[in-house]
Amino acid sequence: MSVAVAKAKSDQSDVYEREELLNGCQAVAHGVRLADVDVIAAYPIRPYTEVMDALSKLIADGQFDAEYIIADSEHSQFEIVKHASSVNARAFGGSSGTGWMYGMEALVVTATDRLPPLFVVGNRALDDPGAFGVEHNDAMAVRDMGWLLCWVTTPQEALEHVLIGYRIAEDKRVRMPMGLAMDGAFLTHSQHMVKVPSPEAAKKFLPQYDLAERRLHPDNPISVAPQINEDWVMELRRQNWEAAKRARGVIKEAYKEFNDVFGERYSAPYYFEEFMTDDAEVVLIGIGTVAAPARTAVRRLREKGQKVGYVNLRWFRPFPTVELRECLSRFKAVGVVDRDFAHGSPDNGGILMHEIRSCLYPAKQRPAIVNFMGGLGGRDLSIADAQKMYDITQQAAKKDSMDGFVTWIGLRE
Amino acid sequence: MIKRVEVNYRGIFQKNLGKKIGSDIVMIASRMGQKAFSNGRYSDSPERNGIPCKYFAFVSPDLPEEELEAECGAKLEIDETNISVVLDDTMCKGVEPWGWHGIRPINEKVIKDGCLLVVSRKKPEELLKFIGKKPYNYRIAILDGDASLAGLWVNKDDLTHERILGGIAAIDPALISIEAVESYLMEKTKQKHRAEAARAAFESLRAEAKPPRVKLVTPKEGIDWPHEKPVLPKWFEMQEGAVVPAVKRGFEVGPRGQSRNAMFKRGTTKTQRPAVRFDLCTKCTLCWAECPDECFDPTKDGFYDIEYQYCVGCGKCAEICPVKECIVMVDELRFEDDSSPYEHWKKDSKDYIQWVEDKKGKDRVSYPFVTGKGITVTQGEVMPEGKIVGIKKTEEAEL
Ligand code: SF4
Ligand code: SF4
Repeated sequence: MSVAVAKAKSDQSDVYEREELLNGCQAVAHGVRLADVDVIAAYPIRPYTEVMDALSKLIADGQFDAEYIIADSEHSQFEIVKHASSVNARAFGGSSGTGWMYGMEALVVTATDRLPPLFVVGNRALDDPGAFGVEHNDAMAVRDMGWLLCWVTTPQEALEHVLIGYRIAEDKRVRMPMGLAMDGAFLTHSQHMVKVPSPEAAKKFLPQYDLAERRLHPDNPISVAPQINEDWVMELRRQNWEAAKRARGVIKEAYKEFNDVFGERYSAPYYFEEFMTDDAEVVLIGIGTVAAPARTAVRRLREKGQKVGYVNLRWFRPFPTVELRECLSRFKAVGVVDRDFAHGSPDNGGILMHEIRSCLYPAKQRPAIVNFMGGLGGRDLSIADAQKMYDITQQAAKKDSMDGFVTWIGLRE
Repeated sequence: MIKRVEVNYRGIFQKNLGKKIGSDIVMIASRMGQKAFSNGRYSDSPERNGIPCKYFAFVSPDLPEEELEAECGAKLEIDETNISVVLDDTMCKGVEPWGWHGIRPINEKVIKDGCLLVVSRKKPEELLKFIGKKPYNYRIAILDGDASLAGLWVNKDDLTHERILGGIAAIDPALISIEAVESYLMEKTKQKHRAEAARAAFESLRAEAKPPRVKLVTPKEGIDWPHEKPVLPKWFEMQEGAVVPAVKRGFEVGPRGQSRNAMFKRGTTKTQRPAVRFDLCTKCTLCWAECPDECFDPTKDGFYDIEYQYCVGCGKCAEICPVKECIVMVDELRFEDDSSPYEHWKKDSKDYIQWVEDKKGKDRVSYPFVTGKGITVTQGEVMPEGKIVGIKKTEEAEL
């Protein structure tokens, strides 16, 4: 079950029209072009800014036609996206860090209104102090609000997940907003050769957006989000809950369909990706670009005969509880890498670690869990750091004590 | 044992009054050595002007405070009441105490042998033309007076507050005794006339008082309640995404010709309704254009009928109508149904004019909210049929 990206089958080679050097932001812009998005609302903040730059260039160059609206703030930007989505326009927005937080009111209601626009979040530390390095707390702020939330690790995945994201979000069983997150700088501004799908292939994969009976239009007069009180709110929350549960199945379907069009790009269980885990005793699990140093460390440690592997978690919402429980309970110890913080939380560790410990609680065989807080505010997570984390996790596998199981990596101390 | 008091009040206009009564029941009952607390439904924003709302006070001689809170607190609707206070008698036509509970009888929560305490100039028999039947005996007590209406965050210092406390003491001395009311008011305000007002109200409700103001109501008395409780959809029956389908559009000229939202009638909001003399109407359109709730239906011959089920009694139409005595606001309790006044007039204009003048009477009552006295009463006149006399509007006069 190891390794990720398989090559496109030969009979599917024409689904890509060219290769192009693109960074994460530009790759997203091409994804938006290929998704034939109708309405884009933009407001700058690093590192997201280059997404809007790239989109405006595509439009200016005549490669893409969309309504492009510069808002006066993120709050207005997200409101525009939400409203566009409600009139059955495929809509796109995005932001980073505190800009994302500033528009939170609109983000929360986009989920309650069950609208499926896609937002890219170029992860950025939350100011103050003014920092623009990666941290995942910005995107994670919507994690309990009825959002789809997924992280990509390469520009290729970023492009493809714009298409996959809309496919899942707009499915009538789901209709939830889609947060496509990527590490600020390390992915948003990292340039790689990207295979760019042809518009025909994209169209083949991604159906038209159809909000049907909920489309706000003079021909379909409805009210969206009236004032409601105690008599209605619980029922609405229950509907959101159900949609988030249903989304797990739709995600699988979407990846299978994607593979049908583009070749075996993604392997089951899709929500996450295992690397050299088949006979592993100890694994790290993380989100985002930390996958690169971690997988490199795995290769090097394997050369020394150590049974280690890596799990790259792609989908954070809905959380792949059953599959991840099954996966992680195979190992003796799991080291959870958090590029986020949860101050004052039960275990004083990161958000992901708490989710994983909760996910593993009903497992018959629970691995030892250790937690690494690392790479905060854009600090490096190096191959050496990854090796150190494997080292600590291997030690944890041997002892019963949970003392000091949260370790800060790369901290000056 | 728990004693429950419910104070029905008009949103915003009586919010402060309702809250004060609730608070003082707690203060007085506590001074008598009981445990008590009060809570209420907020009505703090202007769109709740006039909407029937409730404050509650709960008193127990024996339960600890937490148990009292557990029994009575943090609930949307009270289970039952020993005393339901009604601060404006027009609420006897029914209240929508909270969204989606439907129009409920004012005495819905009153228990056997409990009491409905109404501030009114009317007799219990007159109020019973609107109040639903109960399967058991209870009482209606009338505290003689007019509704005390004010604005947001204020209430008129017209002694309604003190008189209600005195009234409650007369109905159930174990809940709060008149002596405890008096000593509390004296200690708090050092003003004798407040304690005296409470005592006078107390005396007026005693069995020996003349005229008697407390009536025993038997299961035979009252009306069969015409309004059903709404049945709300289950979570999987509702449309997703907080979506509400629009009211089906439709517009025909004539009474009730416009489509309206059957789930959004706000008729229980009004203390007064506009009465129209169609024979004086110049068809100027102003009432139709100005009504914030779109209650006016244009007719083929150019008049404007009123759909009273949707009228909130704001008085804008009466204010804007440029013809003397053409639209006048009249006490809501003078009307027993919401039928079309225009149809009545068309059927028999003489009979209608007589009927509507009878309803109007001569007193023109207005409630200068926030400032001024409780109510202002001026004298109106009966205009002969078709005699159109223009009136200068206040704003024009000021210009
Ligand atoms: S009082 Fe007149 S203006 Fe106000 S809601 Fe009723 S009909 Fe409309
Ligand atoms: S405002 Fe008065 S005169 Fe004008 S249309 Fe209405 S009722 Fe007739």
